[in-house]
Amino acid sequence: MTGAELTIDLLAKHGVKDVFGYPGGAIMPIYDALYGAPVKHYLTRHEQGAGFAAVGFARSTGKLGVCFATSGPGATNLITALADAMMDSVPLLAITGQVPTAAIGSDAFQEVDVLGMSLSCTKHSYMVERAEDLAEILQEAIHLAQSGRPGPVLVDIPKDIQMAQVPFHPWLAAEDHLPKLDPNQVAIANQILSEAQRPVAYIGGGVQAADAQNELMQFLEKTHMPAVSTLKALGSVLPDYEYDLGMLGMHGGKAANLAVQQCDVLVCIGARFDDRVTGNLSKFAAKAKVIHLDIDAAEIGKRKPAKASLVADLKTSLPQLDCFVTPDEWLTHIESMMKEHAWRYDYPGEKVFAPYLLNQLSQKMPSTGVVCCDVGQHQMWVAQHMKFSHPSNHLSSGGAGTMGFGLPAAIGAQVARPNDFVITVSGDGSIMMNIQELATIRRNNLPVKILILDNQRLGMVRQWQQLFFEGRYSETNLSDNPDFVQLAAVFGIPGQTITKADEVDAAVDALVNSEGPYILHACIDDKENVWPLVPPGAANDEMMTETVK
Amino acid sequence: MKHTLTIALKNQSVAVERFLRVARHRGFDLTTMNLEMADEAFHVTMTVDSDKPIYLLTSQLNKLVDVKHVNVENQFQQQAI
Repeated sequence: MTGAELTIDLLAKHGVKDVFGYPGGAIMPIYDALYGAPVKHYLTRHEQGAGFAAVGFARSTGKLGVCFATSGPGATNLITALADAMMDSVPLLAITGQVPTAAIGSDAFQEVDVLGMSLSCTKHSYMVERAEDLAEILQEAIHLAQSGRPGPVLVDIPKDIQMAQVPFHPWLAAEDHLPKLDPNQVAIANQILSEAQRPVAYIGGGVQAADAQNELMQFLEKTHMPAVSTLKALGSVLPDYEYDLGMLGMHGGKAANLAVQQCDVLVCIGARFDDRVTGNLSKFAAKAKVIHLDIDAAEIGKRKPAKASLVADLKTSLPQLDCFVTPDEWLTHIESMMKEHAWRYDYPGEKVFAPYLLNQLSQKMPSTGVVCCDVGQHQMWVAQHMKFSHPSNHLSSGGAGTMGFGLPAAIGAQVARPNDFVITVSGDGSIMMNIQELATIRRNNLPVKILILDNQRLGMVRQWQQLFFEGRYSETNLSDNPDFVQLAAVFGIPGQTITKADEVDAAVDALVNSEGPYILHACIDDKENVWPLVPPGAANDEMMTETVK
Repeated sequence: MKHTLTIALKNQSVAVERFLRVARHRGFDLTTMNLEMADEAFHVTMTVDSDKPIYLLTSQLNKLVDVKHVNVENQFQQQAI
């Protein structure tokens, strides 16, 4: 068996049925081994598309996502997707071809030191130096990407090793040295909880990584604790939970941010006090004792000190928090804040109001559907105005904030979940970053829906230029955009453009009820901003609200 | 504040790059370093300087697959101060 055949064989043995990639010189033996193999390959039109499709596959299922690229530029084009997966703890395996071993270090054609480039954007990475190591490295890589705190792992395989005869030895995973709960810390946490008057649960992406939605909901239902979510956590708290305050942070809801600022105990569940969440860190939840639950010990005290730290898998740690009931006085206050600061959709004017459109989409699309966002104003509106029943139904580039994520991520999600409704919600800036993947949708007849909220601007940058750069709109005007419906039509994707508020309801119906792929191009007010906004350097209770247009 | 660390690494050349990258990226300046190969592992003694608490570095180093163990040699002195 050649190294290339072994690579495909091992993927199949580990249950990998779908991979995304782009061939080239140094990975040709692996593509040859793919020919007729039981692993289905999806050709994207750029390696970044392959990387994000694999991320979308992984995030929409919790399974390993796999992508292939050739050496040199093929591998460098994967780097952004690896960085994105690193920031958002996504289980990803990237396999790259490398020039033959004898040519490494000679500045050969399409040679780049991919191992060196991978160091800052992978959980771990390998360059295979000996054919006899290949089987063990691949098996270890598959294991590492999914163990503990998940993350991307890269395996760089020189072409001669792909072509060499290689031995296969089953590799038995060493027992994971997952952290064990410290009973003293559990006792301290429960003591703090027993004295809490104004507790808040701050939910992060760790809930999905640990597959701990059930444990989370049991904890919340038991304690009635008000819950706020990070961008990545949206969907972890079920939509009908009475004290779900939605997203916190820079564009979080006012009630969510105020609750955190006023709380006396903050139970951080698989989150990492990201700067977009905390605003001014020294003023974030300043009166609160923090109980921090995370599988990664390096997150404890990294940004905010914890009074108690439960370092373990959330499935194990969450049930250790004793029965405790949130005081009624605090819940009454939370309810009044939720009522006072509820989102409003009664927007005056004839133009399409993006929050209303998204709220309608949320109500009309299947609750099992997947929404894949790009990055910018539309991404924040999705987070604010759509509801999700599981974090695998909301894919949004969180830590890295990568424009161009949405379309290829939706392709990965649709491949992974062929019977589910999958839509990418994008902006007119982001969609152009990986627009070539319309060809992948067409090639595979994927019924991916596309909603473009078009303000002919790089809207979020424009918003900041308006608010913080004296209205100097440097390089954010996109009024020369192509006609997106015509562009999609070239790829065989039907759709329509709307410009007025009274067209929204019928257009959302057409989108949701369309059989195959479909594009809804919604022209919105270029002066519409995302509110509220915690300005840079401010505390989360110093939110700006709509005052200027 | 300066801290002296001893680190044992798998004997793969990339392991050295990997832990040095983490130290730099997390805001710890390298002031001295000694590296020896013994018992099929790299043994590193290094001193780093930073205003940040040393656990912010050791907790990140401990996550590296190539790192077998990390010890802070002058931890007792720090606590005494």
